[in-house]
Amino acid sequence: MKEPMYKSARDLPSAHLLGAGTAMCAGCGGLEVVREAYDVLGENTVFVNAAGCMTLMSVYPFTPFRGSWLYTAMASAPAGAQGVRDALDIRRAKGELEAGDDLEVVVLTGDGAGYGMGLSATSAAIDRGLDFLYLCYDNEGYGNTGQQTSPATPHGARTATDGALAGVAGEKKDLFGIWVANRPTYAATVVGSEPLDLARKVARAKSRSGPRLILALAPCPTGWGFEPSETVAIGHLAVRTGIWPLKEYVDGRVEHTRRPHPRLPVTDYLKTQARFAHLFEPEPNEQVLAEIQASVDAYWDAVE
Amino acid sequence: MYRIRFHGRGGQGMKTASRILGSAFFLSGFEVQDAPRYGAERRGAPIFAFVRAGRAAILERGNIDRPDLVVVADDTLVAIPGAGVLAGLHADSVLLLVTTVPADDWQQRLNTTGTVLTLPPPGGSERDPALLSALCAGAAARLTGAIEREALIRAVDEELALYPADTIAANRAGALAGFDALAVAAGRVGESGAVAADGYDAPDWIDLPADGVGLAAPTIHAGATSVEVRTGLWRTMRPVIDLEKCHRCTWVCGTFCPDGVIGVDAERYPVIDYDHCKGCMICLAQCPTHAIAAITERQGREADIAAEGEQA
Ligand SMILES: Cc1ncc(C[n+]2csc(CCOP(=O)(O)OP(=O)(O)O)c2C)c(N)n1
Ligand code: SF4
Ligand code: SF4
Ligand code: SF4
Ligand SMILES: [Mg+2]
Repeated sequence: MKEPMYKSARDLPSAHLLGAGTAMCAGCGGLEVVREAYDVLGENTVFVNAAGCMTLMSVYPFTPFRGSWLYTAMASAPAGAQGVRDALDIRRAKGELEAGDDLEVVVLTGDGAGYGMGLSATSAAIDRGLDFLYLCYDNEGYGNTGQQTSPATPHGARTATDGALAGVAGEKKDLFGIWVANRPTYAATVVGSEPLDLARKVARAKSRSGPRLILALAPCPTGWGFEPSETVAIGHLAVRTGIWPLKEYVDGRVEHTRRPHPRLPVTDYLKTQARFAHLFEPEPNEQVLAEIQASVDAYWDAVE
Repeated sequence: MYRIRFHGRGGQGMKTASRILGSAFFLSGFEVQDAPRYGAERRGAPIFAFVRAGRAAILERGNIDRPDLVVVADDTLVAIPGAGVLAGLHADSVLLLVTTVPADDWQQRLNTTGTVLTLPPPGGSERDPALLSALCAGAAARLTGAIEREALIRAVDEELALYPADTIAANRAGALAGFDALAVAAGRVGESGAVAADGYDAPDWIDLPADGVGLAAPTIHAGATSVEVRTGLWRTMRPVIDLEKCHRCTWVCGTFCPDGVIGVDAERYPVIDYDHCKGCMICLAQCPTHAIAAITERQGREADIAAEGEQA
C-alpha cells in the first residue's frame, strides 16, 4: 500500500474522525494520541481495547469511533484482535467482504496492560505473525484506577502505591526493545506533541502488515500531577531531555527520528510534575536525580 | 450521626476536603467514614465525596441519600442534574455554596425555605481553586460545632503531610478562613437519626414495563455518537480566540487539542466548539501568536447572554 505523504505540519488533517464528548480528563495526552492516530488510520479501523482509561471512551450508547470497538479484559486484547482478524479473513475468503471494506485491527492498550498483564498474549500474537497494529498509550501507571505503579513507571516517580520518599525503586521496562527482539514488521515510539512524526509513523505502520507497534508516551495531568494546559509542553520536554527517544524499527534496523541537540538536563522535565516533586523538596535528592540523568546519558552514548 | 456531602468538579479538591473534615472529626473523638465517590472521576467533571461522623460505630454504608449538610465548591454544578447536588436535602439540611451570588438569590432560584449559606471563593476569583478544599473543610467543621480549631489544623497537617511546608501553611490559613467565616452559623448543622429503609421518601419514579433488549438497548449503527455528551459543561475557564492576532496556523491548535474540538472555517480561521471544549488550555499554551485568552466561564456566559440580547 502507498503511504500518504505528510511533508509538513500543514498536511496534518484539519477535520478529525474521533468524535468529541469523551470522558477523558481535560488535557489527556492519551486521547491526543488516539485522535491523531485515528485520523491517519481512517474509518476502516476496528479497535480492540484492553481495560484502562480509554475504555471509558465508548460507554453505550455513546462512542467517539466511526466503526466497531471491542472491550477486552486487561491481559487479552491481542487474543481479541486475533479473533476479529480471523473473522474478517473468513469473510474475505467467503467473498462476503470486499478488499476495500476490510478493516485494520488495532489493539488499543495502556501500559499496565501493554508492559505487564498483556505481555504474554502480545508475545504469542507476534509469534503467530498476527496482522495487527498495537497502539500503546503509555501514561506510566495504572491511570484509570488512580495511578498505581506499572512496569512502565519511571525510576523515582511517586505513585499511589509507591508513596515512599524516593518513589519507585525499579526502572521503566523497555517495551520497544521487547518488541524489536520479537522481530515485528514495524515498531515505533511517538508522542502526541510531535504530531508530524506521529502521523508519518502511523502511516508507515499502516502501509505494512503483520505485527506492528506504535508506542506513545502519554502525559497524564491527573496521574503525573501537572496543569492540563502543560500536556504538550511536557511532551516536548520529554523529547528534548532525551527521556523519550523517538525512533522506529524498519527492515531489521532501529533508527532515531529525532536526536535532541543539545539535550536539556532531565530536571527540566522532572520539575514540571508533582510525581517527582519529592526529588526537589524539601531538599534535592541528588542521588536519584543523578541516577536518572545517568541512565538517559548512557542510552544516548550507546546510540551515538 | 452527621451526614455531609461535598460536591465539586474533579480537580477542585473535594476528596481532600472530605479527608480533612473526616480527620478533624476523628481527632475530636468521633467514629468516621470518609470517601470520594469512586467512578469515572475526571478533572472538571462533577464528583462528590462524603463524610459520616458519629459517637457510636457507623454501620451505614454507601452514598449519603439524606444529607445534613451539602457543601458545593462550584456553583455552576447546581444547574447540572447529573451532579445531584440537591439530592435528598430535607427540611433541616443546610446547603453551603461557594459563590459570589447572595444567599437570598439562591433561595429564590431553588425555591426553597431551607437554610442556604454562602461563602465567597478564595481570593475572590475562580482562577484560584488551590485552597478550596481547605476552605470547604474548615467551613463544614464550624457548621457542625463539634470541631475545635486545633483539631482542624492537625487534620490539615496530617492530610497534607506529603506536601511542602508553604502549601501546608496556605491550607491551614484556608481552613481557618472557612472556619472563621462561618462563626455566625456555628453549630447550625445538627445530627440526624438513623433512617430505616422504610423511612426513606418513596422515589418519585414511574414504573414502566420491561422492554425487550432490542428496544431497551438497541444496536447503535451511527458513528461518533459521543458528540451527544456535552463535555463543555466541565469547563471552568473558557479559551477565546482573538482573530486579529490569529495567523491561521490551525494545524497547531487544531492538532494539539486532545478533544479535537477546534475546527476550521471557510476563511481558514479556527473555531472552537464550546459544547465540547473541556477548557484544558493546551491551545492557549501552544498558540505561537498568543491569540488565545482565558476568561472565566461566568464571564463567558454573561457575554453570551449580552450577545443574545443584542441579537433579539
Ligand atoms: C485483570 C484485571 N485486573 C485489574 C483490573 C482493574 N483495572 C481496570 S483499568 C486498570 C488500569 C489499567 O492501566 P493501564 O493499562 O496502564 O491503562 P490506563 O488506566 O493507565 O489507561 C485496572 C488495574 C482489570 N480490569 N482487570
Ligand atoms: S487519568 Fe490520565 S490517561 Fe487517564 S483519562 Fe485522565 S489524563 Fe487521560
Ligand atoms: S494556533 Fe493561534 S494563531 Fe494559530 S490558528 Fe490557532 S489560534 Fe490562530
Ligand atoms: S481549551 Fe483548547 S485545547 Fe483544550 S479542549 Fe478547549 S479548545 Fe481544545
Ligand atoms: Mg497506564
